[in-house]
Amino acid sequence: MSRKEELLNLLKDKLRGKFLAGSSLEDKRLFIDIKKEALVETASLLMKEGARYQMGVGYEAKKNGQGLAMVHTFAFDADSLLVAIRALTTEDKPEFDSLTPFIPGAGWSEREYIDLLGLHFKNHPNPKRLVLSDDWPEGIYPLRQDVPYDLMPPSAEEVAFRLDEAPPGSSIIPFGPFHACLHEPAHFAVYVDGEEIKGCEYRGFMVHRGIEKLAATELTYNEIPFVAERICGICGSVHSVNYAQAVEAASGLKIPRRAEFIRTIMLEIERLHSHLMWLGVAGHLIGFDTVFMQAWRIREKIMWLAESLTGNRKTYGMVIVGGVRRDIDLTKADLIKKTLSEVEKDMLALEKAIIKDKAIHRRTKGVGYLSREKAVEWNLVGPVARARGLDMDARRDHRYAAYDEVKFDVVVADSGDVWGTLVVRIKEIYEAIKIIHQCLGKLASELQGSPLAIEIEGPVPAGQQGLSVVEAPRGEAVHYVLTGDDNRPERWRVRAPTYPNLQAVPDMLLNNKLADFPIIVGSIDPCISCTDRVAVIDRKTAADRILSRQELEKLSREVRSKT
Amino acid sequence: MKVVAVFVNLIYFLLLAPFLEGVMRKLTAWIQSRKGPPLYQPYLDLLKLLGKENLNSGGNWAFRLAPILSFSSMLAAIALIPLTGQANILAHSSDLMTLIYFLTLSGFCLLVGALGSGNPFAAVGASREMMTTVMLEPVLAMLLILGTVRIGNFSLSAAVSGVAVSRGGSYFLMLVVYLLALQAFAARQPFDIAEAEVEILEGPYMEYSGPNYALLRYTLNLKRMFYAWLLVSCFLSFILPANFLFSLLLQTVLIIVVFVLISLIGATHPRFRIDQALKYYALLLILALIAVGLAVKGW
Repeated sequence: MSRKEELLNLLKDKLRGKFLAGSSLEDKRLFIDIKKEALVETASLLMKEGARYQMGVGYEAKKNGQGLAMVHTFAFDADSLLVAIRALTTEDKPEFDSLTPFIPGAGWSEREYIDLLGLHFKNHPNPKRLVLSDDWPEGIYPLRQDVPYDLMPPSAEEVAFRLDEAPPGSSIIPFGPFHACLHEPAHFAVYVDGEEIKGCEYRGFMVHRGIEKLAATELTYNEIPFVAERICGICGSVHSVNYAQAVEAASGLKIPRRAEFIRTIMLEIERLHSHLMWLGVAGHLIGFDTVFMQAWRIREKIMWLAESLTGNRKTYGMVIVGGVRRDIDLTKADLIKKTLSEVEKDMLALEKAIIKDKAIHRRTKGVGYLSREKAVEWNLVGPVARARGLDMDARRDHRYAAYDEVKFDVVVADSGDVWGTLVVRIKEIYEAIKIIHQCLGKLASELQGSPLAIEIEGPVPAGQQGLSVVEAPRGEAVHYVLTGDDNRPERWRVRAPTYPNLQAVPDMLLNNKLADFPIIVGSIDPCISCTDRVAVIDRKTAADRILSRQELEKLSREVRSKT
Repeated sequence: MKVVAVFVNLIYFLLLAPFLEGVMRKLTAWIQSRKGPPLYQPYLDLLKLLGKENLNSGGNWAFRLAPILSFSSMLAAIALIPLTGQANILAHSSDLMTLIYFLTLSGFCLLVGALGSGNPFAAVGASREMMTTVMLEPVLAMLLILGTVRIGNFSLSAAVSGVAVSRGGSYFLMLVVYLLALQAFAARQPFDIAEAEVEILEGPYMEYSGPNYALLRYTLNLKRMFYAWLLVSCFLSFILPANFLFSLLLQTVLIIVVFVLISLIGATHPRFRIDQALKYYALLLILALIAVGLAVKGW
């Protein structure tokens, strides 16, 4: 009996009448419907069986007259199994039991739907506002179907987020909403006693874009990959691949093998750029700008490579539902090989300088320490988790794309601090290079002449669930798709790796020095919204306008052609 | 002639200090595989800042006056020094304590301005600056006392020239201490702790803009040049020729070499935390005390 059947039988047995249905198109997924009274019981059963909490998905299932739904997803990494449990509640009593008391990492997942759907979670320890801005009016829940996607309530003056009380004897240093060590708006109210951090409260989501709502109301299945890619300016491919996989899973589509290899190559190229970028930023955050400049010099080769392959330095636009848009032919493969050998050579030199540098040890060892147990408790993912001894990697544990056919090592460290994260991310650069070489070999030999994409035949059936994970450079990203009518998903939910990791940051900061705040926050590589605009303001008239895409392109290309 | 020497001091420092920052930026850029700005960029930066608006974000006189006081204290300190080993007219009414006093006053004014700004990051920067001053000023004092002990005279030129009168154990120990303290004196990585851009956003300088910021930048440039000059004049005075012009020329070259050293160390080290730095300073202080002890013994 497979693990999946075991779990299914266990739940049926324990929940009895509260178990409604269990189904899945794929053998590595399990979608279960339960009565809402059984939510806590089911979740704790799964956790007892060794599950890792991933995320919550709330949506309004009004179309079917079912009220409001809450889905919680869990991963069984050792068994390559993902489980989603769904419960429904009526609109007049939108209440669920909270999972947060025994799964701290579910805290945000629930708070999010207090804001967006008007749900209540009984026994939630901290039901404060999370996503919506402070002046958003009470009683309007943006994810409800009767709220238009472009609703803009008038802004209100003199409303502010109420921070918790600082512990006695400490003062508050405000890191954010804008601070040199945060590359996007976020606010950490850091409680310090002298130079020692005694706690911190986080207020973020200032640039929440409502992409999920947009996808559920305005976009179609085939448009979403390109919007998904713009979720993150660093790991865009992760999201477009992830979304496409979720839709493919929900509709039972099997894409061409060649496309899966090309997706893998692009994901690993993206990992190379992301790891090198983070390495540079980490150097900058501990005041070591030479590491910053050298890492970015190496990274630049990857950017030029990506431009040759896709036409863009970032935001490759390679992925569609059913496959990829561009091939990697033999000429391009040669270019990739040449670039990778240069990058590997440069990286070895840089690594040697970093790993031996005693001063870097002093600034990173023991900094941002979190025990293995805490890492499990907070459901940490990616290099942040692997630095704390958790041997997990979605590429190996939940094989997708072509990862079932490539050999690579999952790098794990056990120091539990920033140093561990640094080592893991450096070593993963070589693993990524290894993977790309294997993929190129396959493309050149067995997979010549295979198609790049296939079409879905007929409309995607409504009401199907798809769940997909992709190991982003920062950790596991999860996409959930519930197919709908009108050629678009009824619900598409994205959980980036920063979502769980950021929730653990206050714990990582505790009892560290103020000077270590930037590198501790930086160690999770926080991905917030990637929404930057260039505003031009006339100093005399104070009139402002935002530069358009065309203007930005013109500016950046003109500058490059001059040099 | 002794009156002119005062002005020579001031002009020499004021003209050369921004250029040395240019040297530092260029070298740092090279190490980081960048082209770097032209050597005269710091002059342009200062000029540009002078043409901008002074924002009085602190809203009080302490914040407003601190930069000019800090700058003039630094100039006062520079006016006193025996540039090529020759005492100038101010030597009659000053000694090594006057020099230390003006240097400390300059740093103290920066602290007052930082605290006057009311910015929490500036306050953190000021507290770090204060701790650094408390630990480092004694190291500077020990150096000058070493020279004084050798010659038995409290005048500044005696203190400076006395260090290298005889080159025994105390000379070499103090040289090591000074080289180890050089980055800290220059407030450059790994000891740019009080400014620490990514942590506390330039700390004490954060709220300053326009001409006031230019003055603080200039003060920092002068301070760095002063400590480079002190290294050359105290430890290498014996190789400087007697001719004033040749001496000045060789001294300039040596100061540039010191800045090369500062740039190299700065570009190859991450920043220390203040708690790590304080331990390091304490060690320097103990070594400096031992060096003075050795000098008293005549070694």
